[in-house]
Amino acid sequence: MAILLYGANHQSAPLEFRERLVVPEGGLVAAVHRLIGHEGIDEGLILSTCNRTELLVHGAAPATGETLREFLRAHSRAEPADLDRHCYLHADREAVRHLFRVACSLDSMIVGEPQILGQVKEAYAAAHAAGGLRSVLDNLMQRAFAVAKKVRTETGIARAPVSIAHAAAARAREIFGDLRGSAVVVLGAGKMARIAAQHIAADGVGSITVVNRSYQRGAELARELRGEALMWERLPEALEKSDIVIVSTGAPHHIVTREDAQRIARQRRGRPIFLIDIAVPRNVDPRANDLDNVYVYDIDDLKSVAEAGLRERRNEARFAEEIVDREASAYIDWMRSLEISPTIVALRDHLHALGATELDRFRGRLGALSPGQQQALEEFRTALVNKVLHHPIQALKRASTRPGSGQLVAFLREAFGLDGQGPTRGKS
Amino acid sequence: MLDSTAARAFRAPEGVVQAALVLMRAALLVYAAGFVTALAAVLREGTRAARWTPRFAAAGALFHTAGMLAMGWGLGRCPLGTLPEVLGALSWVAVLIYLFVWWRHRVEVLHLVVLPLAMIVLMVAKLLPDELIPVGPSMQPSLLRFHLGAIILGVGALFVTFAASLVYLIVDRALKAKRPARYFRSLPSLAGCDRMGRLSLLWAFPLLTFGIVTGAIVNDAKYGTPWAWHANETLSILAWLLLAVVVVARIGWGWRGRKPALLTLLGFGLVFLRMFGV
Repeated sequence: MAILLYGANHQSAPLEFRERLVVPEGGLVAAVHRLIGHEGIDEGLILSTCNRTELLVHGAAPATGETLREFLRAHSRAEPADLDRHCYLHADREAVRHLFRVACSLDSMIVGEPQILGQVKEAYAAAHAAGGLRSVLDNLMQRAFAVAKKVRTETGIARAPVSIAHAAAARAREIFGDLRGSAVVVLGAGKMARIAAQHIAADGVGSITVVNRSYQRGAELARELRGEALMWERLPEALEKSDIVIVSTGAPHHIVTREDAQRIARQRRGRPIFLIDIAVPRNVDPRANDLDNVYVYDIDDLKSVAEAGLRERRNEARFAEEIVDREASAYIDWMRSLEISPTIVALRDHLHALGATELDRFRGRLGALSPGQQQALEEFRTALVNKVLHHPIQALKRASTRPGSGQLVAFLREAFGLDGQGPTRGKS
Repeated sequence: MLDSTAARAFRAPEGVVQAALVLMRAALLVYAAGFVTALAAVLREGTRAARWTPRFAAAGALFHTAGMLAMGWGLGRCPLGTLPEVLGALSWVAVLIYLFVWWRHRVEVLHLVVLPLAMIVLMVAKLLPDELIPVGPSMQPSLLRFHLGAIILGVGALFVTFAASLVYLIVDRALKAKRPARYFRSLPSLAGCDRMGRLSLLWAFPLLTFGIVTGAIVNDAKYGTPWAWHANETLSILAWLLLAVVVVARIGWGWRGRKPALLTLLGFGLVFLRMFGV
């Protein structure tokens, strides 16, 4: 039995191929149901997003890889050659490690992005609904969620801002702390202005005011942001009351000049004002940044903050990879250690059964035996089997306290033929 | 506080003063360990060192408290009799105030400012001559204690004001220079620094005012004049005036931000100079 993971992601396959693999959200439960219907597959889960489609199963090892490939081929109607070129198959430790990396957002296009964990949770829910999860995968998924949480809290992979809007919002928080008391003014009603305003308002702000040359469009954006709209003529009045100003109009000149900024700053008596200029050409005089308590960020400033953020996340990802490696090894060891006592029982049962069968076979040739002789034979059989068992069982017991016990378990099961034949192991 | 009769009744064994000094030294070492962990947390992010800083600071404060108590017991009097003792008490109060502020507001950067300041004060205290502060014949010692107590609490709170103002200016410069987000991680927000500076000053200023007034009364009893125009006294009144301007500007004129932070820094500098020559 093994944990296997088969699929393709944004690194292994181009979009044209990935889109053929996608399992639509509505069909997920049915697909898992079909997956676990295959022989040799005990448990199964399907994760399908725009960046990846992966099958995770617990099943009989060697044949199952083939089954998974066939399952995806039938689902996507892709050429087998394409599947072989673009898909990967991971087993046991590698499969666990891959799953952990995905859940921790280390395998994402933007390292640390938060959506993937939600998608993994949805996949988990669907697999659960389809009855695809029992002890092994259910446990593994819980572990994956725990590792993802650990990585998020102990490393900075999700911390630094990586987009312009995100960088603007992060900087606003560095100035004002909590934004719930801050007044936000949006100049212009374009797409960039909207995205930046949404990011800043994500955790709540004091107020949002949209000022746009076309009042109509401004009012639309204001409605979307749950703020109010003002006529363009009332711009100076809006600026006086603002803490954060997002400027993104199509005007080819400075809408907020240095003199404007100076006047506003004086009225604010040292309360800081944050001017976010995401317009090209710029709408805020960059020299206003020299004024006390006035902070002006243009699009290049924010871009460099975001780029530094991306570098930082990659840097932090190294620590995250270490955690994932450690956790994956620990998980596999733990799983293997669970097999130790069943293996001991199986070994004992198996050899005693062998001894009994062989003794039965030879009994006939010995003729009539006295009860004493019969007992001696029985004792001989038991003693011999116990002698043979002694060292393997001792070795297993010692191994249970150490990492790496899995190999010994696997070896003994194979050497004594415990999997496959014999009265030994039922499905877990 | 023990007066002389109680002291006789308690009769401290030999070596208690020595033990007190050892405890103080232990406190200093533990503070240093806290400072190093705080520094490590800033230099290498993601280390767990940061978790240890408040524990070290608290352990140091425990040693410090034990040291102060042992000192009082060993000497058989309130351990505010000499300049080193006053400075020892001052750094003790500063650490307690800082631990309280950290506990309430989780401002990690305080470790980096207040811990070294407390260490400097403790170390300077070791270098200064251990002479008793003369008490005038007609003066009640309790008044001197009020004076010293108010000054110690006030300067302790002013440590936090100083930290807040310093960090405000650092954050301000970093924002202007458009530093990456990583830089700000262990720093509080600009508004947070401003609030902390304002609040701690509003605690420190009345205490210092009370301390100066009682100081003048003490002087009057000692020298027959409330104001002797010593360099030290001039320095204190200058510092007090500067801080008064900041208080008025903050409350009366609604000032915030850079200017009050700069003035506070200057005021604290004067207080710090003054501190080592009571």
